[in-house]
Amino acid sequence: MWDQVGQNLYQSTVGVLSRLASLLPGFVALLVAVLLSVLLAWLIAAILRRVLRAIRFDERLDSWGFTGLADYSPQQSPALLVTRVVAWAIVLTGLVLGLGAIEATLTSQLTLRMFDYLPSVATAILVLIVGTIVARYLARSVLIESVNMNLHYARLLSLGVKWLVMVCTIAMALDQLQIGSGIVHLAFGILFGGIVLALALAVGLGSKELVTRSLERESSRIPEDTEEPIRHM
Amino acid sequence: MAESGVEQIESADAVIGLVPPASRDGQSLENTIARIVAMPIPGKVALVHPLLSSNHMEPLKDGSLWRLIASPQLTQDPSALAQSLGDSFRATFEIAVKLNARACAVVASDLSATTVDWVSLLLTPVTDEQFDLVAPCYARHPFEGMINRAIVYPLVRALYGKQIRNPMGPDFGISSRLLQRITGAPRTRPHTLPSLAAEAITNEMPLCQSHLGTRTYAAPDFTNLSSLLAQVLGPVFLDVERYAAHWQRARGSQPIREFGQPMYADTPANAMDVSRLIDSFQLGARNLLEVWGIVLPPSTLVELRRLARSGAAQFRMPDVTWVHVVYDFALAHRLRTISRDQMLRALTPIYLGWVASYALELEHASPEAAEQRLEKLCVVFEETKSYFVSRWRWPDRFNP
Repeated sequence: MWDQVGQNLYQSTVGVLSRLASLLPGFVALLVAVLLSVLLAWLIAAILRRVLRAIRFDERLDSWGFTGLADYSPQQSPALLVTRVVAWAIVLTGLVLGLGAIEATLTSQLTLRMFDYLPSVATAILVLIVGTIVARYLARSVLIESVNMNLHYARLLSLGVKWLVMVCTIAMALDQLQIGSGIVHLAFGILFGGIVLALALAVGLGSKELVTRSLERESSRIPEDTEEPIRHM
Repeated sequence: MAESGVEQIESADAVIGLVPPASRDGQSLENTIARIVAMPIPGKVALVHPLLSSNHMEPLKDGSLWRLIASPQLTQDPSALAQSLGDSFRATFEIAVKLNARACAVVASDLSATTVDWVSLLLTPVTDEQFDLVAPCYARHPFEGMINRAIVYPLVRALYGKQIRNPMGPDFGISSRLLQRITGAPRTRPHTLPSLAAEAITNEMPLCQSHLGTRTYAAPDFTNLSSLLAQVLGPVFLDVERYAAHWQRARGSQPIREFGQPMYADTPANAMDVSRLIDSFQLGARNLLEVWGIVLPPSTLVELRRLARSGAAQFRMPDVTWVHVVYDFALAHRLRTISRDQMLRALTPIYLGWVASYALELEHASPEAAEQRLEKLCVVFEETKSYFVSRWRWPDRFNP
């Protein structure tokens, strides 16, 4: 009986060890792939950083109107953001290649699913970028116009508009990524409704002041023949 | 009154275009046309006017040298004033070129105050004295035409070197030579009106100005001031960019020949309420500093912040600060640091701050004192031009 136990144990050890031995080249390949991709990413990132600096990418982006991108970039530099995105993409590609070396079928499935998911990720990123730019543009427009209309709650109004667009954008991006769609829809409805209600209350309360001012102006209006002395045209 | 299409007229010695504000009633337009056609003229003159709602005018006398052309393109749209005026001017100019006219006058002011002398004062310098552009001078009190007073006149004078009081008219006399240049320009240049003076100066065409008298205005719409500023300054700043090679060489400024009798309107007796203007500036300083910070250097921002803290009695915006603001906004317009429309609208509170400071300074001043004050501002614009030239050439250089 002990012979049988010993034999089984031996076979199991041999099996595990041979399985491990068969996987080891794969792991080494993964390690090499990751190391190489990190090295390549570092090299390409360094070259890209130099090129972008040479063409003054940050300033050019500013002059093309993408001023908001700097706020979301490391060290306020969109060039650095682009460099890091490229570097991480290379490292990620190296990782996928390395995983393929361990288990071909598993990795091919993983790769397939990942590639199926990539368009959604790209769309979500695009939605986020466009939404952020639109939100900032609208917020600034509302702020300037509200100040020019002498509204004392201009900043609140601008902030409200910005978050309305941002909430809408984030909900759209999450919907694209198919992450918790039910919860996202519900949360979006609650948040959007909440912001609209808050804005309506703010504008309503604020316009009380505006109407009072307007009525005061009407009641103290100077007769038609004596006009406002300062004329801009 | 017999109206003809432009095809029915072979030629004309001069063309007069009437582009009255949209608020004007048809009767006023008919009266003005009747007054103008009663004028004795030495040659054939075509009068281009907007479509009339009714036609109750006396017919033209037999053998009259006047020709009337009704054009639907002649309109003033208050919501897009600069664009509609530019289109109306271009339509009149094209008719003048087609009729081979030696001179063209366009009257875009309210017709209730327009006299036949205006037409003569705008045309005679072109026909008799060979001037290429006749700009208008109006009898204004010190608080009228503030956008022109604070920005357009001093800026055009400092940049192009000619003391032209109303570079944007809107009433002009133009020679056939200048007409050819303007109508020959590509249609992608939509703003004919502000480009007239710049085009004449940069091509070394002789220009003068005529004192036309009082000009009446439509009631001001305070809420639309920011869009008015954007409509007026956008084309001016576009021209600054277009003619950069020329204005960087110009130094100082020269007066230009004047026709007619200079007139001043008295300062209005009713009290001015500058507190609203100061409030607007302070509200801007509280909320728009981050937008101004994209356009203005830190030293100007510090000055504006200091001004926002001062009370109404001490509220004075130094001319140098204001001039730097105008130059920096012109530069930001070129660099597209932020959306051009947003940037021009963000100037409104600072402009109102300058108007408040100017109004407090000149509350009880005579028209002569107001003229001196304006001259002082223009001199600061000219003296500070080197700052603008340097910022224009090296916008990235550190500017504290």
